[in-house]
Amino acid sequence: MSHFELFGLAPSVDLDMASLEAKYRELSLANHPDRNPADRVGAASRTANINEAFKVLKHPVRRAFYLLGLKGVDLEKVSMPMEFLEGILEQREALEAAMAEKNFVKVRGLAAQIERDSAVALSAGQASLRAGDVAAATSALAKVRYFGRFLEEVEAIEEDAA
Amino acid sequence: MKGLLQIHDPLKPKGHAVGIDLGTTNSLVAGVIHGKPVCLEADEGGAKLLPSVVHYGRDGGVLVGQRAVAQMPQHPTDTLKSVKRFMGKSHGDAETKKLGAYKFAGGTGVVRFEVSGGQPVTPIEVSGEILRALKRRAESHFAGKVEQAVITVPAYFDDAQRQATKDAGRLAGLEVLRLLNEPTAAALAYGLDKGSQGHFAVYDLGGGTFDISILELTDGVFQVKSVGGDSALGGDDFDRALAGLVLGEKPTPAEISTALQAARAAKERLTTETKVDLLGRTVTRDEFDALIRPLIEKTGVACRRALKDAELKAGELDGVVLVGGSTRVPAVRRFVAEVFGREPLADIDPDQVVALGAAVQADLLTNAERRDEVLLLDVIPLSLGLETMGGVVEKLIPRNSTIPIGQAQVFTTFQDGQNAMDIHVVQGERELVEDCRSLARFRLTGIPALPAGIGRVEVKFSVDADGILSVSAKEQSTGIEQKITVKPTHGLTDDEIEQMLLDSIDHAEDDIQKRLLREQQIEAQRILIDAAKQLSENGDLLEPAERAELEASMRSLEALSKETTDHHRLKQAIVGLDEQSKPFVERIMNRAISRAVVGQKV
Repeated sequence: MSHFELFGLAPSVDLDMASLEAKYRELSLANHPDRNPADRVGAASRTANINEAFKVLKHPVRRAFYLLGLKGVDLEKVSMPMEFLEGILEQREALEAAMAEKNFVKVRGLAAQIERDSAVALSAGQASLRAGDVAAATSALAKVRYFGRFLEEVEAIEEDAA
Repeated sequence: MKGLLQIHDPLKPKGHAVGIDLGTTNSLVAGVIHGKPVCLEADEGGAKLLPSVVHYGRDGGVLVGQRAVAQMPQHPTDTLKSVKRFMGKSHGDAETKKLGAYKFAGGTGVVRFEVSGGQPVTPIEVSGEILRALKRRAESHFAGKVEQAVITVPAYFDDAQRQATKDAGRLAGLEVLRLLNEPTAAALAYGLDKGSQGHFAVYDLGGGTFDISILELTDGVFQVKSVGGDSALGGDDFDRALAGLVLGEKPTPAEISTALQAARAAKERLTTETKVDLLGRTVTRDEFDALIRPLIEKTGVACRRALKDAELKAGELDGVVLVGGSTRVPAVRRFVAEVFGREPLADIDPDQVVALGAAVQADLLTNAERRDEVLLLDVIPLSLGLETMGGVVEKLIPRNSTIPIGQAQVFTTFQDGQNAMDIHVVQGERELVEDCRSLARFRLTGIPALPAGIGRVEVKFSVDADGILSVSAKEQSTGIEQKITVKPTHGLTDDEIEQMLLDSIDHAEDDIQKRLLREQQIEAQRILIDAAKQLSENGDLLEPAERAELEASMRSLEALSKETTDHHRLKQAIVGLDEQSKPFVERIMNRAISRAVVGQKV
């Protein structure tokens, strides 16, 4: 059963958060092990599935990746245009330089630029998914995946600095 | 037909379920009585707070609470305080290097303290003593068994610390119904009290730990949105900062212990006074505030991150709740108001609120009538991952994921004919394995010989509702599943726990006899008080001869309760009096019912 099916929804980029959350509460109340003392093991496994599905559906990036996965695309296997990879490489070098200088203002600045690029790529990917253009969606969302990696690294750096 | 014993509190089959706040400085036990959570007497003289201090005597005897505190000046290293800081920690951990009057035993693995009267003890055993003391107090209160408990832990506790807490519960003979995050417990106490809806932040600064949680309460579901904190930051650090002002270069354990106690007293006085004396040195509140400012600032970073993780702005919160004794410090309150831009709530005693919430959760979990009231959905505080090539962490379950949750990931072999795979489980947010907490290592063997990249191993993480992790691995190409026992890197093995349980049972024989007698004495007292009350209110329902007979039995039970050391005999006498009272109780009930029928207040 797909995450969308579990929540009784048609697969879509656009979900209404309020009703998604209401449905999540309803499913949790019915399936949580605390409410099912006679079948704790089964309830725990159902609840784990509900929690996993909710985590994916409520988050726009995870949701878009998941939709693409349902269409048979494995983002890990997508090869990126050289130009894009070179760009990312440059940004990474800048990040490493900023780190070496312990210049956290610069680190934040680089992250902000990537966040903007990522938001642009995500909405392009979402638009392509709405239009049913899987190829265009794939190339846009593959970029989001790279940007996401970059931002995760920044987060780890900021964590170390905190 | 009912007797006096059944008039209130019919004995529950598994005993009463309680909530326990196992704190760094103080511990509390609470139960739900007549639908309301109440903190029970936990120490000598009826105090609700039991100091989390355990003294090990030369004769092998163990004292807990105020009586242990009294031993601190003479026996600083045999009297263990703040052991919560060492839960789930290994020998040589940074926590063991801080200022404190402890004598650590050598060796590797879990932290052990040298104490007189026996072998070195682990923080798990020391916590087990505190829990056992609380369990007995609660049993005395209910005059019945207490076998199930919800025990609270800082939300920021990692897997090893949670496991250690659960093991301590087992050592104390408690079935741990749930490990409940402290801020969640506090929110539960507030939420149910006010019947409110919306988003809340809980700022919990205790003796040794700091937690921040953001929660949402909607339609009976209490959902933790994010947690953060520092499991090694608390009021103890304020004490240490103050003690540092008066300690010389190389202080002795006794000097350290004295200075820390004096510092704590000075800190508490500074809540209401602006200038105090600390071992002959004057300390002003401004000086104290400046001293602790960097420590308080550290909590602000965690607060902002928790808000970000919950995707909320401070202004969107409906309330900020203060928990923990250290939130009495005026500088802390000012800081919280500053960070969240609103005055925090503190209408429930910050020392009691966690235990009260734990008691509510224990009741929700065991009382079928209340099960539908509210559902708690908690999260894991720290990301869980695996070590991959180059010592980099691959996160499987990110922090703030709602539990229970499972996540599987497939790893491929990297050498031709590779027949084993080392799996290293870590917890933390940092990128490199060396900066994260190592939870467990194990080796999956029996992978069939295959070319590199063909052998596929699926590693599955499962986190249960207590936030405790179990890991399994499966070789996929052949479908052969392997059962793996994860050996805790920092905790005790199941065998060690079993041995400790056996040891404690050996020594506990005398204790049990004493305790059973004490329980029956309390029971006798209760039935006598009830009988006297009923005689004065409803004595007219008895014929003079019946009354004389009942009073004679009461007198003989009272005498027996003072003399005998045989708990069986005392119990027989209690049951005898109960039996004798049945016709009387029946008449009382009839009167109560007929009054209710005609609308009079009983």
